[in-house]
Amino acid sequence: MKATKMTKAISNSRLLLATMAALLLTATAFAAAPGISGTTFNLTAQQAYLNQPDGEAVYSWGYGCLNTTGVTFLPTAISGSCPTMQVPGPTLIVTEGQTVTINLLNGLPTAAGNTSILFPGFTVTTTGGVTGLLTQEAAPGGSVTYSFVASAPGTHPYYSGTQGDLQIEMGLYGAVIVLPSNPGNGTCDTNNVTNLYGKTDYGTANSVPGFPEKDFRLAHAAYDHPKSCYDREYLFQWAEMDPRIHKQALAQVAAKVSCTAGSVGCSLNVQTEPYHPAYFLINGRSMPDLMDPNYAAEYPHQPYNGNPHMHPGELTLIRTIGQGHWQHPFHEHANHVRILGRDGNLVLSPTNPGTNLAGILMFNTDTTPGESFDGIFYFSGRGLNWDPYGHHPVASGTNLGATNANPFPTDPLASPPCTPDADGYNTGTTTALNYYEWCQDHNKPVQSMPFGDVAGGGPATLPDPNILTNGAWYGGTPYLGPDANLRATMPACDTTRNAVCTTLLPSNVQANPANERGWAFMWHSHNEREITTNNVFPGGMLMMMLVDSREFAIDESQ
Amino acid sequence: MASRKWSTSLFLTVLLCLVALTGSAQSFRVQCPPSTVTHPIAANNNSEPAYNGPTQFGTAPINGTSGGYVTPTSNVNGAIKCQQISGGDGLATMADGTQTYMFSFGPLSGLADVAAGQPSTQFPNVFNTVYPGALLLRGDPATTDGATSGASPGNGGSATPSFTWNGAIGLQPDADALASGTCNTAFYGPQCVDGHVDPRQIIDVGVMNGNIPAPLAAFDEDDEFFLTLTNVGMIMRPDLFEQHTVHFHGYPNASSFYDGVPDASVAINIGGSFTYYYLAPDAGTYFWHCHITPPEHLQMGMVGQLHVRPRQDRVPSGGSLYTYLAYQNGGTSTVPLPTGMAADLRTACNPATDILCSATMPAINTGALQGLDKLGNPQRYTYNDGDGSTAYDVEYPIQMHGFDPNFHFVGMTFNPEMFVDMKDKYFLLNGRGYPDTVTPGPQATVTTDTQMHYSQPMPAIINIPVGGRALLRMVNLSVTEYHTLASLGIPMKEVGFMAKLLRDQGGNNTEFYTNSITLGGGESLDVILDASDDSCRAFAGSGCSATLYKAGSTFYLYTPQLDHLSNDAENFGGMMTEVHICNSVSGGNTYGNKCN
Repeated sequence: MKATKMTKAISNSRLLLATMAALLLTATAFAAAPGISGTTFNLTAQQAYLNQPDGEAVYSWGYGCLNTTGVTFLPTAISGSCPTMQVPGPTLIVTEGQTVTINLLNGLPTAAGNTSILFPGFTVTTTGGVTGLLTQEAAPGGSVTYSFVASAPGTHPYYSGTQGDLQIEMGLYGAVIVLPSNPGNGTCDTNNVTNLYGKTDYGTANSVPGFPEKDFRLAHAAYDHPKSCYDREYLFQWAEMDPRIHKQALAQVAAKVSCTAGSVGCSLNVQTEPYHPAYFLINGRSMPDLMDPNYAAEYPHQPYNGNPHMHPGELTLIRTIGQGHWQHPFHEHANHVRILGRDGNLVLSPTNPGTNLAGILMFNTDTTPGESFDGIFYFSGRGLNWDPYGHHPVASGTNLGATNANPFPTDPLASPPCTPDADGYNTGTTTALNYYEWCQDHNKPVQSMPFGDVAGGGPATLPDPNILTNGAWYGGTPYLGPDANLRATMPACDTTRNAVCTTLLPSNVQANPANERGWAFMWHSHNEREITTNNVFPGGMLMMMLVDSREFAIDESQ
Repeated sequence: MASRKWSTSLFLTVLLCLVALTGSAQSFRVQCPPSTVTHPIAANNNSEPAYNGPTQFGTAPINGTSGGYVTPTSNVNGAIKCQQISGGDGLATMADGTQTYMFSFGPLSGLADVAAGQPSTQFPNVFNTVYPGALLLRGDPATTDGATSGASPGNGGSATPSFTWNGAIGLQPDADALASGTCNTAFYGPQCVDGHVDPRQIIDVGVMNGNIPAPLAAFDEDDEFFLTLTNVGMIMRPDLFEQHTVHFHGYPNASSFYDGVPDASVAINIGGSFTYYYLAPDAGTYFWHCHITPPEHLQMGMVGQLHVRPRQDRVPSGGSLYTYLAYQNGGTSTVPLPTGMAADLRTACNPATDILCSATMPAINTGALQGLDKLGNPQRYTYNDGDGSTAYDVEYPIQMHGFDPNFHFVGMTFNPEMFVDMKDKYFLLNGRGYPDTVTPGPQATVTTDTQMHYSQPMPAIINIPVGGRALLRMVNLSVTEYHTLASLGIPMKEVGFMAKLLRDQGGNNTEFYTNSITLGGGESLDVILDASDDSCRAFAGSGCSATLYKAGSTFYLYTPQLDHLSNDAENFGGMMTEVHICNSVSGGNTYGNKCN
């Protein structure tokens, strides 16, 4: 048995420790849709092991970069890399109208036979290679070249066209993102449309570290259509793994390691049915690994993550591809998603198609193998009927709950103005920390009794914290943002009477630290069995999406 | 509102009490305030006012540190609705006779309504009543009704059940507050019914009273909804200290605190109550479920439905639907708001600036007016369509779900659970497999304490008045599979998908006719079973419905996934039910009604 590529299995205990450490150290990791950009890509297909949270190193195949000649890593604010094998394969970022060339070198074990790539949605011409059923293929050790014009903006899958039931299962899939040549028909990032990013000074807040935030978008819109402008963007590729298939492949490859290509018996005969997956992957990883940073060192062959963040009101583009065998009901908590396009085709109304969308609204955006979609999501708190920030008006210059000594100076973050625009949101000052607050609920209390620096008079009596169990992503109070959480856990504490009085900090909330205190919402497969890793909950297809107050800068490069 | 001036010297010594006071925490309690800031007049909160236009608002003056926020000044829409549920366990009867263990929610309010197949959501004047009888009994309402296993009091309206009370279980006058004179009797009434409960009654009724589906919630746009989850523990699993939560699935702009995801916020421990608070979201078919270890708790049965009725239902008789939708949308160039009325931006859908709303003005004004349905009641709609396209005469929730018998057995017997191998073998509509789906009345199961409990209160019998329309609010809550349900004979008109009206940003309706629908786990849609001329006129001419869908005939809803037409090893059963075309329908517009 060759020693080079097959002995990278990491011991169970070391891997688990590494995973736990990764989660703890990078409790606030971010996402974006990273990849490589250019017009000529030199790819290879190779074998390696994928790390899973149960300690398993699963034998897999994947596309990777043979070299990175002529390639740029995007977004530029994230420092990227491209190994020779990764699952999903490198995300190829191209622009509408470009001619794209992909050179594929077959680096798989000889017994695995030919491999290839299909690019559904494009007209592909091929050079070299050997004839296969669906396309030209690269023989073991050989190459093939594919070329197409990136005609359709949007998100598209690519995957193996050879023995797909085995090769796609083993990990040979990836994404092509085609950026529009005229994003949003030139209307994005201006002051009179709904995406926030280009508004003057948006992303700037006075004296707040981390601002102005860097722009992690690949483009300003997903299509050449004004309603496809966005402020944040993420790519999610959904797939499964049946470990029995991967073990069979490993055993057969090991047994035939020195066979000659094309000779009798130098091929694999892996049973891919009945299909019984134990691993459920988003971007090649299972939760909690899924939420660790992009390009994290613990997952050398799984560079992409899933860890969405957004500020209230920001339009978030969700690029999704169904890879693998099964459909998955991808449930986004906290709001619906408007489908912009399917397989790179915009869904438009027959009435004023230049303005009006007709894609459906979904709170579960189903992923289907071979199909991709682009959708827009936002969170704003509209209609909640209470102020998510626990704002209250300032009266007579004193804080709510202040005692004789008034230990806290008037907190301007507790009492900002909220001036509704024509749609009811606070959009007058782009540097406001409560930008895009829903003003109809400004200062409106939810809790019936006042506590700390949050007003009472609301409809609900909050329960005793002693009878609740806190979750790791709980901010500590019902409220959004570090300032509101501090005010809601801190009874008025008069240090002149007692120097050691202290706030009531919540426990076990390490994933939502004191400088963030976002609102966490789970984005996951709603075939709930799939949020497990090999029979263990939690795991699998599960991410936490954080809505962050603008007191917290979102930096997707971490 | 309580005074905020705390004497500092006492402050720290009473710190713990302050926490308790702020939480007003005894462990079990219910919440159903007679009035709130949003619905300030208690007398108006026990019925739904007509919709005459948007609620009018002013800003409350700043008084000390209160106020400074927008409050209603006139034309207050909506009311207050309340519900209490238990989180615990129970047993259900499958169609092959097997008794299956569940983790489940059970009703702790509206017990009589639930037994009749109705939602258990109540107005405050019903919820806030003390049990009028001597003592609530274990197994109630089945015990008081004298239910025996499988038999069904209240059979299609012909028998009258004995248990008729719909208040909150355990509610007791707050004797301590009355005695000490600290009760706000003007707010809570002379008996001081302030949410204080007797835990013994809650445990007596709540333990092992699990229902599948979980108790149905139904309320109206503009309502405030208080849902109290009381964790009574799981008697059959003394090893589990399981919390429970309620996730309101599909709510747009939900808060994280009330979203019911334990990792993202909080979960209630055994022996405690947590009241979820929401202003009703936009009209549609939603659902709710526990979010603790979802692969386990959802498979084990903690899933139920939630409907929000559109404010278009409350348009005054004879009113133009198009006009009232224009009022909701803040007035249009052709239909401005009445003089002196301001828009309520919360109810408006402007596709130019909001990419996530769908109740825009319809492209065509059909001139539809609010009238009566075939049952003689004010016409009801699925959404604020402004053109009458989502009107229906009867409505039925249909919850598709499955049980894996191995998993449920393991769930009762402390063994490790295999999620990878999870495979449903019982295929259920509203918690029952055929032929139980077509047995009227609540299904009772004897539990391990020898008490009868109503375990599956909802049949799946669809009664439609001839020439009428049935709204099927369909939900799939499987944890492993997509499910398809097909209609043999009567076309389905899909009008809503995932709690949104099917309409594009140009106002064109994108509804469509079909004969089957497919849903993944955690998905919902609205289908109108259209036995009216609309569905057949194009190919069979006017009057076609009387010929094609004759009164007295029976049609079927069934799953074309034919292996799901089974009850485990029993070869015929599963996801199938009957649709009856009736000369008329009496006794309500949902389950429990009678086909004449």
